[in-house]
Amino acid sequence: MKKIILFLCLVAVWGVFGCAKRQVTQQLQPGGQQQEAVRDTSVADKRGEIKPEERITEQQLAKVETKEEPARFKEERGLFDDIYFDFDKYDIKPEAKPVLKDIAAWLLKNPAARLSIEGHCDERGTNEYNLALGDRRAKSARDFLIALGVASNRIEIVSYGEEKPQCTEQTEECWAKNRRAHFVVLR
Amino acid sequence: MRSSVLRIFSFLFILFLAGVASFPLTTAVAKVYIDITSPAFRRLPVAVQEFAGPMGKEMSEIVRDDLDFTGLFSQIDERAHVESPSQPFNPKNWTPLGAEIVVKGIVKEGKELVVNVSCYDVFEGREMFRKEYRAERNLVRPLAHSIANDVYFSITGEQGIFRSRIAFVAEEKGEKRLLIADWDGHRVTDTGLRAHILISPRWSQDGSKIVYAAEKNRQWGIYVLDFPNMKAERVFASQGTNIAADFTPNGEQLIFSSSKEGTPDLYSLNLKTSVLKKMTSSYGIDVSPAVSPDGTLIAFVSDRGGTPQIYVMRSDGTDTRRVTFDGTYNTSPCWSPKGDKIAFSGRRGTNQIFIVNPDGSGLTQLTTEGNNEDPSFSPDGRYIVFSSDRDGRKGVYVMRANGENQKRITPRNLKAYAPRWSPR
Repeated sequence: MKKIILFLCLVAVWGVFGCAKRQVTQQLQPGGQQQEAVRDTSVADKRGEIKPEERITEQQLAKVETKEEPARFKEERGLFDDIYFDFDKYDIKPEAKPVLKDIAAWLLKNPAARLSIEGHCDERGTNEYNLALGDRRAKSARDFLIALGVASNRIEIVSYGEEKPQCTEQTEECWAKNRRAHFVVLR
Repeated sequence: MRSSVLRIFSFLFILFLAGVASFPLTTAVAKVYIDITSPAFRRLPVAVQEFAGPMGKEMSEIVRDDLDFTGLFSQIDERAHVESPSQPFNPKNWTPLGAEIVVKGIVKEGKELVVNVSCYDVFEGREMFRKEYRAERNLVRPLAHSIANDVYFSITGEQGIFRSRIAFVAEEKGEKRLLIADWDGHRVTDTGLRAHILISPRWSQDGSKIVYAAEKNRQWGIYVLDFPNMKAERVFASQGTNIAADFTPNGEQLIFSSSKEGTPDLYSLNLKTSVLKKMTSSYGIDVSPAVSPDGTLIAFVSDRGGTPQIYVMRSDGTDTRRVTFDGTYNTSPCWSPKGDKIAFSGRRGTNQIFIVNPDGSGLTQLTTEGNNEDPSFSPDGRYIVFSSDRDGRKGVYVMRANGENQKRITPRNLKAYAPRWSPR
């Protein structure tokens, strides 16, 4: 066993130094000779590399079937005013507080109703960040209602970001109308 | 004693292997005509001759357009060509025109397209390669793109991207659809996927899947579209906003943003075990995770500093660093394929595309006109696809990664955005 290992060691040592030596000799070859060799191959190589034939194919993709899901709730809109936010902000402004107080009072009088708060943004931001921002706007409104005594399990939120604008012109008035939380009663 | 001999033996054996590896096994190194990594290169004069035979004109034009877009070549005006397409290549016909590379092709009529292409080096009077291509007649564009890829490779030594595709979202009558087009905007394919709201498509690294987010019945879910069987499956849904997922390089996990615990934070979801892990916890917004190509880092957007900015953390959620400091609204990060650049959309009055090094240095603005969003690199990192409203309606545009040659690739009457360049 030991003999075999010793033999393999010798082979390995030979391999290392053998290779190194060959490399050195090649580097020492005079430049002229090497150039000659290159020119030779290029002449012999007049006909180029013949690449293997290629068949161009493409997978024929079927179309995805998109199923429509039935709505979970009957939606009631227009019961409450929207509340508005400043650009890239999600704190509740003083003028929004009376609206939220009315909503809280209504929910406490109608204990069977559930509320969905939609968060919306203007189009100036980017889509993904706007969805996160709309989420925070809806959450600010939700937190305010919970603070006024509404049970948290009665309020769900959904963000629509800039995907459902109220107004589509590119003006500050229009953008301001789109930065909103919208309230939908679910029954 | 014996184990120490073994250890010496294995050490020497490793040395032996290292010696073999460092020794050049192939002596023939392919000639590179343009070093595309060099900052100051000369445009290489190329003549792509109109291919002989049916559909030859269309094919050679596609090859020319592909090569033109790279910005690495100048085309020799076709009207100046002396040699006719059916004549054999003669360097004497091309040297006076200044052409250094000539591409010739012959298309044969038949049940399918058979194209024989040769690429020549004019200085050396040498054929660089020849190849036969076959395809069904309706695949003339992919066939021409394959020719462009081979010509590009033989000149630059790098793989071309001309057969890669771009996924994007199109909106019509309030409905959103997921479409896929060739990189030049031709051959738009409808995946059939449609939703009330559908955002953020991202390819898996092997190109077999696209993850996206959709809202159905007031609930945001993360969905995976599987290409071979064209099935879309919901992999995550909860109360709150679940959006913007990205695959890890092995395709086994998704990183996405969810507000299920109150505020939008980043989570990882193992697709095999369905184990969900929370990765960030901040009072504000954490969204738009982008996994680096090697999987070690995650770039994302957070407003923890007061305004939305790009941050980078390790993939285990530790070691978070802020990357952008200029401006008050920097979002939509994406990595270059080598992981050496991050492209993003920064608001400077309007939204513009920027690139920056992951350490925050080297900030460069690439666009100026209109609003420009959703950048995504080509698989070779040399181009960026993005959406822009510079011509009115939002559309998908491509440009070189230095901002040159910006052009719209989707039809003007189609509202299109959220583009993502496929892997090769």
